[in-house]
Amino acid sequence: MFNNFTSLVQKAQTLIDTAGLTASPSKSPSKSTLFQHQFRLPDSESPLYEITSELTLPLPRSGRQPQDANDVSSQLRGNHYVGRLHLSEHYICFSTQGSSFLSTATTSSSSSFTGQTHGTGPSGNGFTLPLCAVRRVERLNSQSFQFSLAITTSNGYRDVDKKQSTNPNPQRLIVQLAGSRQQCERFCDGLKKGLRAAYKDTQNLNKVVGELYSEYHLADTATSDKEGSTTTQRDPPDTGLGAIYRYPGDARKLRDKAKMRLWKEYMRENGRNATIVRQPTFHKLIRVGLPNRLRGEIWELTSGSLFLRFQNPDLYAEMLKEHEGKQSLAIDEIEKDLNRSLPEYPGFQSEEGIGRLRRVLVAYSWLNPEVGYCQAMNIVVAALLIYMSEAQAFFVLSVLCDRMLPGYYSMTMYGTLLDQKVFESLVEGTMPILWDHLVKSDVQLSVVSLPWFLSLYINSMPLIFAYRVLDVFFLEGPKVLFQIGLAILRINGEELLDAADDGTFISVLKTYFSRLDESAHPKSENPKLRAVTRFQELMVVAFKEFSGITQGTISEQRAKHKDAVLENIENFAKRTSIRNLGPDSKRLSLNDLGFLYDRFYGVLYERQQRTQMIQQEMDRKKKSGRIKATEVVSGVSGDEPEMGRVALGPSPTQMDYAAFREFLAGIAKWAVTDSPSSPSSHVDGEKASYFGNSMRSRSLTISPWGAGPEPADHDFMKRLFRKWDVDSVDTLTLQNVVTGLAHMKGTKDIMANISYFFDLYDDDGDGKIDREGILSMSEALLFLSRRGFETPFPAASPQSDARMGSSIEADELRIENRDEQFLSSVSAFIRRCFEYADADHPSKQIDDSTSALSNFGIGEDEEEEEDEDEALIEIDGTSTSTPKPEHASSPPNGASTSETPSDSASSLPRRDPAAANAALDPSNPLSITLPTFRMLVLADETLEHFFDRALANSFRLSDAPAATASSTLTTFANLGRFTPGVGAGPSSPLPSTAGVVPPGKGLRGVLDNIVTDGMRVATDIRRRMDEAQKELDRGAAQEEDEEDEAEPDERTPGGAYGGDADQRSVRAADRDLLEGAETEDVSSTMGKEGLLNAPGGDGKGRTRAGSEEVGEVLF
Amino acid sequence: MAESTGTPTPRPSSSVKLVLLGEAAVGKSSLVMRFVNNDFQENKEPTIGAAFLTQKCNLPNRTIKFEIWDTAGQERFASLAPMYYRNAQAALVVYDITKPQSLTKAQHWVAELQRQASPGIVIALVGNKADLASPGSFPAPGDDADGVEANADAEQDESDARKVPTREAKAYAEEEGLLFYETSAKTGQYVAEVFTAIAHAIPESSLKGPRGVGGQTNLGRDDGARVNLAGPRETGPKEGCAC
Repeated sequence: MFNNFTSLVQKAQTLIDTAGLTASPSKSPSKSTLFQHQFRLPDSESPLYEITSELTLPLPRSGRQPQDANDVSSQLRGNHYVGRLHLSEHYICFSTQGSSFLSTATTSSSSSFTGQTHGTGPSGNGFTLPLCAVRRVERLNSQSFQFSLAITTSNGYRDVDKKQSTNPNPQRLIVQLAGSRQQCERFCDGLKKGLRAAYKDTQNLNKVVGELYSEYHLADTATSDKEGSTTTQRDPPDTGLGAIYRYPGDARKLRDKAKMRLWKEYMRENGRNATIVRQPTFHKLIRVGLPNRLRGEIWELTSGSLFLRFQNPDLYAEMLKEHEGKQSLAIDEIEKDLNRSLPEYPGFQSEEGIGRLRRVLVAYSWLNPEVGYCQAMNIVVAALLIYMSEAQAFFVLSVLCDRMLPGYYSMTMYGTLLDQKVFESLVEGTMPILWDHLVKSDVQLSVVSLPWFLSLYINSMPLIFAYRVLDVFFLEGPKVLFQIGLAILRINGEELLDAADDGTFISVLKTYFSRLDESAHPKSENPKLRAVTRFQELMVVAFKEFSGITQGTISEQRAKHKDAVLENIENFAKRTSIRNLGPDSKRLSLNDLGFLYDRFYGVLYERQQRTQMIQQEMDRKKKSGRIKATEVVSGVSGDEPEMGRVALGPSPTQMDYAAFREFLAGIAKWAVTDSPSSPSSHVDGEKASYFGNSMRSRSLTISPWGAGPEPADHDFMKRLFRKWDVDSVDTLTLQNVVTGLAHMKGTKDIMANISYFFDLYDDDGDGKIDREGILSMSEALLFLSRRGFETPFPAASPQSDARMGSSIEADELRIENRDEQFLSSVSAFIRRCFEYADADHPSKQIDDSTSALSNFGIGEDEEEEEDEDEALIEIDGTSTSTPKPEHASSPPNGASTSETPSDSASSLPRRDPAAANAALDPSNPLSITLPTFRMLVLADETLEHFFDRALANSFRLSDAPAATASSTLTTFANLGRFTPGVGAGPSSPLPSTAGVVPPGKGLRGVLDNIVTDGMRVATDIRRRMDEAQKELDRGAAQEEDEEDEAEPDERTPGGAYGGDADQRSVRAADRDLLEGAETEDVSSTMGKEGLLNAPGGDGKGRTRAGSEEVGEVLF
Repeated sequence: MAESTGTPTPRPSSSVKLVLLGEAAVGKSSLVMRFVNNDFQENKEPTIGAAFLTQKCNLPNRTIKFEIWDTAGQERFASLAPMYYRNAQAALVVYDITKPQSLTKAQHWVAELQRQASPGIVIALVGNKADLASPGSFPAPGDDADGVEANADAEQDESDARKVPTREAKAYAEEEGLLFYETSAKTGQYVAEVFTAIAHAIPESSLKGPRGVGGQTNLGRDDGARVNLAGPRETGPKEGCAC
């Protein structure tokens, strides 16, 4: 909230900080917070030293005579207060309430308060002195062996400057410290240090104090007592619009003059503004209502906003200047309401008043963009401006939003809703009959009471009474609002019990408010009683009858209801934003949307939280050594539950690319990186980076990924991000993500899916994809498939049965695992891309495919041609053909790894210019069009399936648990048709990693290797194939039988292994065992293999190994 | 409000809880003010939380007493809205015909009401500030198809502040089964008509008694609940003060 303050303050603090206590604004009430609240000090102050002591103040009216403070006997006269003296960085405070805020103090002694404010205000008797307002501290001679300090304040200093004679009696506070000698000395040392540092702040203090009416008022009379002279000609300070347009109410009736006199007297004896000492009269004077011209100043003092202003007197002007001429949503909203804020007050019918209101609201919206502007602030600020200058109102508004009404005006208004719940439960507790009545007649209390709290009774009660409530509110804190509210209900209890619906309920209260000035006991015979107004009665009931409602009660109740309220708001926000996602979102199920919502914001919050933790860690490191371990722990754990809640206010809604990666990693297993550290954040070998709690040990330049799986970083993800980022702002909103996913996952139309994928790679949008694009696409296909897919390829199975049963190839297919199969599909895809690509005829149609066949490349195009034929037939549904033996090397949809290279080698001999396809010549630009791409995809069963279902299903939303780190490691396990490879057990460990390559660097390498190695491998393969075929001819019939038996098992759901030769001998009963073992095996394999880091040698090796294995099985 | 506790009228009188929703400064409060006081105020204080007003509406065979909840329009107040539309039998979702964004917001409200409010709630979509549209395009009542056509033609007018074509809003209203009007709180055009149309559209079955408690709490959903609620309401006053 006080972002600016806090940062300034923290800077300052690192310089001054001696005790090493962190003053980080933790949301759980730390001792510093309690201390700050007790004395209404800025967030930068922390309790450094404290000591039990006795404050001695001169007796009333004795101030005129100079006293000899050094005389011990003088200490016996006057008021004595026992309490605690506290020292913080910039303040010395005294309170009669025995709370302790040192880190060594017990929690109860820090948080248990008595007295009126219960720890949220300058309660009790005492003072809150800025150190810079201390002119001198003397150590007095004392009879006892105790320390006695005489603090001389700068009270009236300005006068003294001008006329020594007018202030013969500077304010002197005598404090006797009660503690061990050591304690006292430590305290005094601290004080000395503080005083020295505070000297530079004197200017700020004088500047602010000079603008206060009390200075003017006292100086004015001080001089006019003597002879009317120079000082009286000074313009009175700005005391709000009231000074120009009259203050509300009848000054005579309010006995304004008498109040002024009382205050003047009080201030003469007890100091003014910054140096005022609180004695019981102070509280009484506030209870009877503040005089017009001092009202603003006392509000400022009691709310503590004065101390903020000391800290940075020019902040208001700076805020306005810095943002001059800028526009914002908040400003638009403010403008709408300027003419409608207390419009009945003449000051707000004028440009002057409206101008002030505008400036204060706008300046605050810049100071605290998280709050910005909330309706009701206009009313509150308008009310303040009648009694305060703009700067004063600005700082009071800060204190209101941050401390006194936390969360009231926030984006979600959670504070308002929470306090309504608190109020309701207080009503239930204190007025059970009325509560029962409300419940039974279905009257919702908050409908009535919400505006009371939100606008501090300002537009519920007549203004003059609302100000009286404010007077006490600023001194005693938020509990006043509750006390007044309860008193209103109690006083009107009888009538409210007659009201049976909201309408009547509201009208009873409306009538009551309009008659607050009338006598509470009009029929009473006692004239004194008759003179008591309804408002006075209200105050009495509020503060006497409900004196049991303390800040402690409120805090307790808030804590109790907080979770429910936040959850409500979050559900509401979720429901609303999901509903408002637009037509595209309809393609996804409601559950999916809910899941996406949670996931989207979950990622953002987690990241935000991590950033904060890292930030804290940095801060902590800076301060290092001094912090006690307990402080560190409590600081962090205190913050954690508070962060990442939608309901607590504005939250990030924009997802950058890094967050997007993390988001994807949670919903798609292909987006999880293969190596513990993603390529972008370079390998630092720290496996622990998987876990959030290791963050402290991580280097700060690396963004950690929290507890979730570390995301990969692949070109495909970048493209997806760019594509979804429709506004080209480099961030995604939930809307973008949902729309994007709706297109990928929501369509059941394979054609749409294909064109969507095509568009991803059509960088310039000209409907063509060039060579680079084709290779990128292929990489992406491998990237996406490297962990397999959730859904089986059902359509393909029967066909494969036929195939497998009919030829030796079948055996190869069975041995082979799915990733290899996909790999081969992809390499076949590349090959065909280059074959079909045409620089001259960019708009080749699918229909051309037959004619395209005749354009086939060189080399073994015969075979391919027929393959292609086959593939096309298959698409048409006439997939009855069994591959002819001589086709062993290149079935389009089932090519084994061993075959692939030979295919590729023939068509893509990259490093063999002699055999080069023209398409591969870099000087020969080529591209494929969408129709071509579509045809090529449909030509391959695997790819077809990929686009039909697998791609969409690779995003796992609500229908399946999000991919976890372990589940991402089960590869290809669920694919029905082909052998799992990965899970196949020891017989084929090497191929298991075939398709799994580190993203970003390895894929292209693999492709290249396939191409080059293929040349060399091809011959070997061919030889084996021939032999294999002979073998097959012998045993074909036999194999077929076995095949038919085994097949159904393979396709049972979850039957995630299949038909390699070894496996087929495994009986169904044993497979359960294998199923369990499989995962283990997978993970261990994956781990050991390092997911195939070196594309070059490994690619070749793997291929060899694969083919050798083929051999082993066969022979 | 004192008279709200059921002064006997010759015709059967029933209470209807009506809630106004819509973006900030589209003129919700002004519509109510026009309907209740036949008055228009240029600078109305923004509604904090919600304002409550009542007004009777005489139909040929009965009198409807509207209990109007006029809500705050600022976005962040949206989370308070459920408190106000709870048990509402009718809703006026208001947008500003000069601000397309306000129609989007109105559509969000309609969706919210359809999903979260009482089933059977009567919703009227109201485009306010029709006086800002050029005279030629001033709309006919929502149910007049000819007027809409004429109006669509006039939209080209340069001096027209209108940004939301009547046709668009009307098509949406029809699709969602909403009453539709374009009003001007300033001139009073069609304001009373909206409320009358709502009064007509409230199903007889959901009107319960003059005090509105039954109607508010039941909406004809659950007769048992109504009986339960009626009991304490009558005995309540006799129990004496809670204090």
